[in-house]
Amino acid sequence: MKLKDWIKTIIFYEILVGMNATLRHLLHYKPITLQYPHEKRSLPDSYRGMLSLLRYDDGTEKCVGCDLCEAACPSRVIKVISAEVPGEPTKRYAKEYYMDMTRCLFCGLCVQACPVDALGMTREYEWAVYDKRHLYLNKEQLLAIGDRAFPVREKRLELQHPNVAFFNVAFTHLPPKDN
Amino acid sequence: MALKPVTTPDIEAATVELSIDGRTVSAKDGVSLYDVISSTGKIVPAMCYHYTFDPFGSCGMCLVTVEGKKAPVRSCTAKAAAGMVVRTDGDDLFQARKKAVEKHLSVHPLDCPVCDADGHCELQDMAFHHQVTNLANAKQKLIPEDTRSPVLDFNMNRCIACGECINVCKDVLMIDALQFIKKGGFTQVVAKGDTALACEFCGDCLAVCPVGAITNKFSKYLYKPWQLRKTTTTCNYCGDGCQMHLETKDNEVVRVTSPLSWKNKWGDRADTAKGHGGICVRGRFGFQYIDSQARLRQPLVRRNGTLPEGELVETPWLEAMQAVVDRLAEVKAAHGAQAIAGLITARCTNEELYLFQKLMRAVIGTNQLDSSSRYGHLNFVRAVRHTLDVGRMTNDCEDITKAKAILLVGTNITETNPLTAVRVKEAIRVYKSQVIVVDSAQTNIAKLASYPMIVTPGTEGLFVQGLVKSVIEQDLIDAETTGKHPEAFAALKRAVADVSLEAIAARTGVSVEHINEAASIFAEAPRAIILCAEGIVRRPDGYQNVLKLVDLAWITGKLGRPGSGVNTLTEEVNEQGAVDMGAAPEYLPGQARFDDEAARDKFAKAWGAALPAPSSGANLMEILERCRSGAIKALYVVGENPVATLPASLEVRAALEQLELLICQDPFLTETAQMAHIVLPACTYAEKEGTFTNLEGKVLRVRQSMDPIGESLPDWHVMTSLASGLGSQFEYESSQDIQSEIMKLLPGYYNLGEPRKLSPKPDAYLSNGYVAEVGSRYGVVREAVSERNGHRPFGLVMGQLLYHSGKLSTQASGLITIAPSAGRLHMNAQDMERLGLTEDSRVRVTSGQGSLEMGAKADLSVMPGSCFFPEHFNDPPVKDLMPVEVDSVTGVPYFKFAWVSIEEA
Ligand code: SF4
Ligand code: SF4
Ligand code: SF4
Ligand code: SF4
Ligand code: SF4
Ligand code: FES
Repeated sequence: MKLKDWIKTIIFYEILVGMNATLRHLLHYKPITLQYPHEKRSLPDSYRGMLSLLRYDDGTEKCVGCDLCEAACPSRVIKVISAEVPGEPTKRYAKEYYMDMTRCLFCGLCVQACPVDALGMTREYEWAVYDKRHLYLNKEQLLAIGDRAFPVREKRLELQHPNVAFFNVAFTHLPPKDN
Repeated sequence: MALKPVTTPDIEAATVELSIDGRTVSAKDGVSLYDVISSTGKIVPAMCYHYTFDPFGSCGMCLVTVEGKKAPVRSCTAKAAAGMVVRTDGDDLFQARKKAVEKHLSVHPLDCPVCDADGHCELQDMAFHHQVTNLANAKQKLIPEDTRSPVLDFNMNRCIACGECINVCKDVLMIDALQFIKKGGFTQVVAKGDTALACEFCGDCLAVCPVGAITNKFSKYLYKPWQLRKTTTTCNYCGDGCQMHLETKDNEVVRVTSPLSWKNKWGDRADTAKGHGGICVRGRFGFQYIDSQARLRQPLVRRNGTLPEGELVETPWLEAMQAVVDRLAEVKAAHGAQAIAGLITARCTNEELYLFQKLMRAVIGTNQLDSSSRYGHLNFVRAVRHTLDVGRMTNDCEDITKAKAILLVGTNITETNPLTAVRVKEAIRVYKSQVIVVDSAQTNIAKLASYPMIVTPGTEGLFVQGLVKSVIEQDLIDAETTGKHPEAFAALKRAVADVSLEAIAARTGVSVEHINEAASIFAEAPRAIILCAEGIVRRPDGYQNVLKLVDLAWITGKLGRPGSGVNTLTEEVNEQGAVDMGAAPEYLPGQARFDDEAARDKFAKAWGAALPAPSSGANLMEILERCRSGAIKALYVVGENPVATLPASLEVRAALEQLELLICQDPFLTETAQMAHIVLPACTYAEKEGTFTNLEGKVLRVRQSMDPIGESLPDWHVMTSLASGLGSQFEYESSQDIQSEIMKLLPGYYNLGEPRKLSPKPDAYLSNGYVAEVGSRYGVVREAVSERNGHRPFGLVMGQLLYHSGKLSTQASGLITIAPSAGRLHMNAQDMERLGLTEDSRVRVTSGQGSLEMGAKADLSVMPGSCFFPEHFNDPPVKDLMPVEVDSVTGVPYFKFAWVSIEEA
């Protein structure tokens, strides 16, 4: 027993055990740090990145200006200024739409709140800017992000009807929108 | 038998006892069970119920069980009866109510995300409370939106057919502009006759609609309720002084809502006598001027010489203020304080009106000041102060509602004071009041009145004379009151001895029988109210006419009797406050006479300054005269616009051109401001704090609901700096500080809430002075008709439209959309036919003052032989056709009536 202990002391056994991982990596060297920006991580499917506004396949904006995203957002990022679609008394849209991305905490509540799936979280995260004001995004900028992040667009629902303000999938007997 | 509305005190009903959820409750027999339940504090869901009108019973939500009945009953339409045992809660009732919600939802579009009611919708609330999560057999109505009206859009997909809109319009407002029709298999609300809605546009239907079926075009889709900041304030258009909510978003007014709403559906039915909480078209849809592009945002100072060459240049406040102070001081040093005068609008707050007169009197040292109360309200105040020793109308609105007889003289009340008109309508509907309307036009209130008397234009005063005579002739006098002052009564009798009812009948166009009938209705009613307004108070002899009405009230024993009295209407919101605050040369604050030594001492001491000499004052007309003669060199105009208001014959423009210094303080660059040397941008009522005093003497809070537009400042702020610049330390940091000072000087004035009851004290006047005066009052009325008999057969009246108030409302785009400046003369259709005119014709209107060309249009309310032009628009400048007459006692200018000839141009 005594000898065993003595040997262990001599060869710093405990330290060797503690350094086990270090010593192993010393010998089998494989770097972990990604060489960003030359290398990029692969992102999980549920990644919540930069927000964007989406369009239907025919290029029309999805957003109906309901302001639910603004109501849902816990950090008051969003500002919606809604109005009647000119010439279409039942249709409402977001005349202006702003997001102050300096405050966003990427919780995704706005995306969940949106009744028409007009908001999408992209996988973009490279949004460092020299001037914070550049993170105050307007509707056109947000639509542009959506355009480049989601090239495949949702088909515009056939349920839109000139006499109803809003399509509602609960109603299945709706005639198609006449052209 | 129909339900007994609890409101009507005259309905005899036994008191019965019934049991509600195990509690014994007593109620009047036959009233709505729902009322009884809610009076116990229990709230049963109800979507078609509102306490301001009778139950309708369409929504099926207010279900309760009544012992002995198999199925749940609708409590709103059920009658309370003795011995009823009622249960209001339970799972069975919850399920039954849930079924009712599901029934509504199954034909509902559920477009909440884009619906203006979203977040403020009773159907949403009900669906949430009853946990409706699934709908079988949902169906869309697919009804196109009805956008025909300029004000309201009807999306009948969302309508739950509760009928509230129809009921409020028919019952409470007695306008009856909406109806149900069945179209495409669904019941829908449409304007009467399925046309474009053309009503009074009070928007009360919008307020009571529990869902988003009716939307306001001016705010549609611009907001969600949670984005808005709501401020309760007082409307600044007319003297009714309604309470309303200004709802703002980012310093923009988005909409105005009323206390009347489906959310406030529970109330004591008897409380509607004080008001139902609604507002009128001006209050609800006339808000756009507040943040209009036309608002002044910076002070303007005229550079490079004076009128007309110089140009108004935007200048920083400091510099502009310095110029004001320097130049005022210069004028004062060179010509004395008597060379300075001031005018202020009655749309300013009490605090500002007080400060204005203090500035003029204590700092500048002149009593040449006046307010827009001079345009007529002062006639009434001076008359009742002289005779009854009160300073405003003697009753409050509740007395009007509960009167048994109402005599309306010369007032188109539904147009000028729509919410006081609702009080009269409630008097007719609930309290079965007899209403006598004396006017030269077929007004809306005349259509509802039991005794409409249409008189020849300009003879309203004569008609009152007839009433006095008729009361005496028919011996309808109240012996008790007249017995106290036999000499006065004898003098009155002598005065009317020569008055002949036949002659009056011939001149007014109302038969002797009708005059007698009106007199007896009025004299015999236990509670009788006189309401006189522009058509008699603001016409030649206005002051005398009010005195005659006081005589009428006196001899019929109506003075001082509860619920009876002499009342008036005010056109601008704070005309009463302007007089109370002393913004008139004859009055100090609290309506103390300016030449009253005790009062002078009190205010001189409080202000630490000597007051100007008692006789040095000047009212509006005298100020203009002194401007013309060059005696006044500098004029400070706060919100007034005499150039656009007064007829050209007064040469206001020329008078103002004489001035060395004209300072205008206004939210807009008015016609008067365009002539000014210095223009200071003022805030509107939405951007400042203060109080207004409405026509019944209620002091009402005005609350700031947004930041000032541009660099504009509240008037009190400007006046405070001005006083400080002129060397007097005004230490007011907020309007509250001014209020504290007024409270000290006029204890009891800020009786926020209920107005004090006034008791008229006629005795002093009747025993002293009456006998000498009354003789001249009933002298032969001047031959005002002479021109008419000659070559000017039409009586041209300039008056107010429901959709506008003064010139201010013409800046509100909503009201301009509803009633644009058409530049057309309103004429009777028969007259038009007789003259061969059509709706496209142009006419030439000629008065003694000049001649103008304009369009013409038929108007059902205009009687043959008269015509009407809205006073809000100067296009063409019809005001310039008006002769001006100035009242010899009160100095009120009369310029709203002329005899004209009309021919096709
Ligand atoms: S992700 Fe969250 S914090 Fe960001 S905008 Fe949406 S709701 Fe707001
Ligand atoms: S929730 Fe969606 S539809 Fe509504 S305003 Fe936001 S983005 Fe537009
Ligand atoms: S009326 Fe109410 S339930 Fe109907 S769509 Fe509008 S918010 Fe939704
Ligand atoms: S429009 Fe509104 S208030 Fe009128 S019946 Fe329909 S839901 Fe009721
Ligand atoms: S204009 Fe008169 S009646 Fe209309 S809302 Fe304003 S105060 Fe009330
Ligand atoms: S409240 Fe009784 S049926 Fe609607």
